[in-house]
Amino acid sequence: MSNEPVPVAPPIWKRDFPYKAAEEEAVTRREFARYLVLGTGMLAAGNVGLAAWTQLRTINRGEPREIVAVADVPDRGTYLFRYPGDADPAVLLHLGGDEFVAFSQKCTHLGCVVYFEAEKNRWHCPCHEGNFAAETGDVLSGPPTRPLGKIDVEVRDGAVWALGRADHDEGAE
Amino acid sequence: MTSALPGHDRPRRRVSSAVLIYVIILMALQVFLVTVAAEALLADEEGLAWATAAVSVALFAAAAAFLRYLRP
Repeated sequence: MSNEPVPVAPPIWKRDFPYKAAEEEAVTRREFARYLVLGTGMLAAGNVGLAAWTQLRTINRGEPREIVAVADVPDRGTYLFRYPGDADPAVLLHLGGDEFVAFSQKCTHLGCVVYFEAEKNRWHCPCHEGNFAAETGDVLSGPPTRPLGKIDVEVRDGAVWALGRADHDEGAE
Repeated sequence: MTSALPGHDRPRRRVSSAVLIYVIILMALQVFLVTVAAEALLADEEGLAWATAAVSVALFAAAAAFLRYLRP
């Protein structure tokens, strides 16, 4: 008697489903590395695209328009409005007299809405405990690294006007 | 597994593993650079965005160069 194994016919499902999964999974290191390098190239292309987008995009800084009457905003009170577009929440703070400051209400960390804490004289973001100076919008504490987006305002004939979003680098020293 | 390899294959396999690890590290750096580029976009900082893109392309070139050291 021979001890050689008797060849067994392949199961029917192999004939009906002739895919060699085991061989397909046998990706060589070089192939795997090639996929990684391909991914790296796509990310590099994405980075170049982001840089080009940063260079070419135009930022809507807004047109001058009236926001609210001075008498309607109490001292140390705030007034919410939309500027420069309808999707851009902004907030006006009355510092007293004819002095106002206005900022974008979006936290520069992850875009949550900031609100004014009068007792601590600061803008506070409740999402991650970011705090900004009331008058300047500069970062006081928390994860944000950039100041709040400032909106230039002035008083004209008893009303507060928004003049446009201040340049990002303005005031930077 | 490694011990089953012929003696002259072990160093080559070590080299290919090292190259693979380098490429994975470069990939991780690329992902980090994408977050930096996104931050530069939000902050409207063109200088940072282009610097990030330049480093990213350099990393891609380095990763591609490493492929030469992997045998087919």
